[in-house]
Amino acid sequence: MQLRDKYRIALLSAFAIGIHGIESLLPSPIPWMRLGLANVITVIALLLYGFRTAMLVTLVRVIISSLITGTFPGPAFILSLGGGVLSTMSMGFVVLLAPGLFSAVGLSIIGAFMHNMTQLILAYFLIIQRIEAVLLIAPVITLAGTLTGTLNGLVSETVIRNLKKDIIEKKHK
Amino acid sequence: MSLRKILLNTTGADRILFLLLLSVSLFGIFFIKDIMPQSKSVLIEVNGKPVYILPLDKNRILSVEGPAGNTTIEIKDHAVRVTDSPCSNKLCIKQGWIQSGSIVCLPNRVVVTVGNKDRQKDGPDAITG
Repeated sequence: MQLRDKYRIALLSAFAIGIHGIESLLPSPIPWMRLGLANVITVIALLLYGFRTAMLVTLVRVIISSLITGTFPGPAFILSLGGGVLSTMSMGFVVLLAPGLFSAVGLSIIGAFMHNMTQLILAYFLIIQRIEAVLLIAPVITLAGTLTGTLNGLVSETVIRNLKKDIIEKKHK
Repeated sequence: MSLRKILLNTTGADRILFLLLLSVSLFGIFFIKDIMPQSKSVLIEVNGKPVYILPLDKNRILSVEGPAGNTTIEIKDHAVRVTDSPCSNKLCIKQGWIQSGSIVCLPNRVVVTVGNKDRQKDGPDAITG
């Protein structure tokens, strides 16, 4: 791994942790519902710098964030880690198998969906253990995830376009 | 970079995925309660003691013996009624089909209650005094 990649991962992780922290201060209609804006950074990392960078950024973000909020080895950390890793893996697979099929918006929706489903399954085993409750809540979570995923995807797309524009302009100067 | 330009640049797969997940989740929200099995049950008590706990989704006719004679109870299509009773005013028969609540036949000391299985396990909400 080159030094430049390390800087890049550190910078992107710092952005993700910062966004995650600010987001946890925002009021939310339902306590466990979040926008998941940190996923914006994952999508950007995946599309601009590849799967390895995206995965490392996700891992660093999840671990550092949980250390800051004090949930490190508990169930909340396991939910966060599982959701983050599975959603990054699913987005990575989609980019690997069919590059160009989805834009950042589609990738973000896939990531949000996988994140929610993984957390739901983990929550079933760790906390709830009532299949009716899980089935009842699954469509609500999917709906919320699709909407926030679309929003995050639009943000990611905007950032990626502006970054690319910057890079091209710098090359021309 | 305007929002409109970005929206126009989403791929067809993006839009199909979005609409698919949106419709599946909306469908789920409205219909999952119908798909799920009903957990309601019928509790039949005679003289204050539970005699039968039966599922509400299984059709059957049965009779229970009370102090005044036999009371016949019918369960059909998620509803319960008393079809025959030895009591004089026949209030329990006049009440007809019920899907929730209870039918009480005081002379024969028969109480038929429809409720959730979970709720019957719960103890009292609060005790004062």
